[in-house]
Amino acid sequence: MKIATLGTVLLLCGFTAKAQPDTKLNGEEIFLSNCAICHGMDGTGGRGPNLLGSLRHGDQDSDIANVIQNGVPGSSMSAFGLEDDVLAALVKHIQTLRRGAPAPAVHGGDAIAGEALYRTHGCAGCHRIGGQGSTFGPDLTRIGAQRSYEYLKTSILNPSADVPPEYETVVVETRDGKRFRGVRVNEDSFSVQLRLPDESFVSLDKAAAAKVIYEKSSFMPAYRLEGRDLENLLACLSSLGGGAAQGEAARQPKPR
Amino acid sequence: MRHKAFITALLCLVPLRGADVPFSRLAKASEDARNWLTYWGDYHATRFRDLKQINAGNVKNLRLEWMFQTDAPGAFETVPLVVDGVMYFTAPDSSVYAIDARFGRKLWRYQYHVPKDAKPCCGTINRGLAILGDRLFMLTPDARLLALDVRNGEVIWNVEVAPSHGGSFGGTEAPLVVKDKVVVGVAAGDYGIRGFLDAYDAATGKRAWRFWTIPGPGEPGHETWGGDSWEHGGGATWMTGTYDPELNTVYWGVGNPSPDMVGSVRPGDNLFSDSVIALDADTGKLKWHYQFTPHDMFDWDATEVPMLLDLPWKGEKRKVVVQANRNAFFYVLDRVTGEFLMAEPFAKQTWTTGMDSKGRPAMIPNLDPTPAGTVVCPQCAGATNWMAPSYSPITGLFYLNVREGCDRYFSQTPIYKEGTSYWATFFRGEPVEGGQGRVSALDPLTGKTKWSFPLHAAPWAGTLATSGGLVFAGDEDGYLMALQAETGKLLWKVNTGSRLVTSPITFELDGKQYVTMPSGAAVLTFALPEE
Repeated sequence: MKIATLGTVLLLCGFTAKAQPDTKLNGEEIFLSNCAICHGMDGTGGRGPNLLGSLRHGDQDSDIANVIQNGVPGSSMSAFGLEDDVLAALVKHIQTLRRGAPAPAVHGGDAIAGEALYRTHGCAGCHRIGGQGSTFGPDLTRIGAQRSYEYLKTSILNPSADVPPEYETVVVETRDGKRFRGVRVNEDSFSVQLRLPDESFVSLDKAAAAKVIYEKSSFMPAYRLEGRDLENLLACLSSLGGGAAQGEAARQPKPR
Repeated sequence: MRHKAFITALLCLVPLRGADVPFSRLAKASEDARNWLTYWGDYHATRFRDLKQINAGNVKNLRLEWMFQTDAPGAFETVPLVVDGVMYFTAPDSSVYAIDARFGRKLWRYQYHVPKDAKPCCGTINRGLAILGDRLFMLTPDARLLALDVRNGEVIWNVEVAPSHGGSFGGTEAPLVVKDKVVVGVAAGDYGIRGFLDAYDAATGKRAWRFWTIPGPGEPGHETWGGDSWEHGGGATWMTGTYDPELNTVYWGVGNPSPDMVGSVRPGDNLFSDSVIALDADTGKLKWHYQFTPHDMFDWDATEVPMLLDLPWKGEKRKVVVQANRNAFFYVLDRVTGEFLMAEPFAKQTWTTGMDSKGRPAMIPNLDPTPAGTVVCPQCAGATNWMAPSYSPITGLFYLNVREGCDRYFSQTPIYKEGTSYWATFFRGEPVEGGQGRVSALDPLTGKTKWSFPLHAAPWAGTLATSGGLVFAGDEDGYLMALQAETGKLLWKVNTGSRLVTSPITFELDGKQYVTMPSGAAVLTFALPEE
């Protein structure tokens, strides 16, 4: 009996100590100190991905905890190995940020009609969906999951608003009068590798070039789509890769 | 013909005996061009070698002599030592190798295991070793100092420099041997530590002295910390310093104040953060200090090498210490007295209108990082960083890799919790006009840039100068290159296949000059083809 009582007292003491809110164990502070440097103070991203959208490694508490503790091999996300209580407070804060994020707006548009537009505008001349189309521009197979609706809209109307480094337009003029205009796949201090619209690669010695021009704009022309057409194309693109399904045409890419 | 064969046989039989490097040899390391005896090559850290077999005329023929693969993952930031035909280096998996410098063959390997309960700040990065007598010295990722037997890598002693399980102290630098002591600092300046610099008896591992880089109550400089902010003031000492044997003075760069990017919680200049400290090598007592960035809010550690030069300064020969600082200024100080002599920007900066006669910078107002972000140049990683610069007494030029860029610094006051990072949120790169990187040659008498060689990306590799009229440099895309020291003209380059995050060295063995550069998980060594 005495032993049992003692055990109970110890347990209670232990429990009480744990239950005391630790003012220093604030998930927001842990986030700001450890995560914000890459993911932004509000979790919307910076050098690291936006944490408020769909998460590549899962959105359950355990998924998020796993990424924090073990890192993402091959990326800048290192393994943090936090103590359990610190980790729990941090995951809780991230989920709070996610819940506080604005709910995705519901957009209209007919994805099937959008797909027809995709064809008639010749998008597949540069882009690729489910293994069909060109490798010149970004692959759109999962674009609905990777980019927000607003981002896609801007990409259609003003593609130069945000150009990833591997899609910057670079022109190289050689001394023997040749001119290559393509997207920059890679570049270093001495050479530049372009992907040309015909899907071929060209690798050029910068020292031997007459001129290297960085156009600072997207290779893609701005499309003047409006109204229903724009909505329909966006409905089609948003549905790709498990993005927000729109209308009856919501689907996964065709297996190859 | 027979005679030649005999010589060859004899060379092959030269025994790779365990090294014996007394202090007297270290003190003259700059004259010992055939070896590379300290992290910086010698005590003055000029990284200049009087070797000219490889020169501006023939460097175009330089080719790979051997490659040694460690298979260790992570950034290979080591600078090998080369002692009488044996190369010693650390790998990023906390191992130490001794390899034959002629053929790149392993002689022994030692593996240090970081205890499971250790929580060091800074991964397993390691920048190399120090040597004295028949011992190598290594700082471990969990801030312990080891003495290893140079013959087989066996541990002779193993002492704690700082506890890594609580405060997240770490160790990344190569120690500095000074006479009979091993001087070593700590990493974790962004974890709210109170930094220090230590010296240990090389024979026993017993601590000989400690200098607190954040002064406690009653110590000079304590008044530069408001309230009790000094307790977590940072001031890590995470890069190897230099030593002047004549003045018996150790020079060491001190890291940023903590927490970073927020100054309101630590009013004052925050000494000796972002300073160079000059200490008596026997006692660790402060002789003088100079603070480059008072009350820093941008993470501009002054841990870049304090290089020791003897320059003709305004008509008289002067012992100076120079540093290309993260804050984008090149500094010249008198290394006897600490007197400020000059500061000139070598990259874009937007934080100061200049220095007064004592070297105190006039801060441009309203640059404090805010929750909305404030754009300041240079970037958080600095206009240069820990990668080695070099100086050629022949050209009189100082060669460094420059990182051009600005960051938007965001701030939100953090709360200190032992063992976790302690800094105020984050920063984000601003678009850069023009190139992000370059190799530059500065005239240390004026701070003006004589030439620049553009690099595509901001570099993390250092430079090496030789009497062959060459400057070797590395870039972020993996190129090791040789530039003409006078003009910066590209003479040779090779793509090593991995980003370069350390600095090349050179040495001579049996009349043949080699250039070594770690890249990826490998040590690459280059030489001219045999005739």
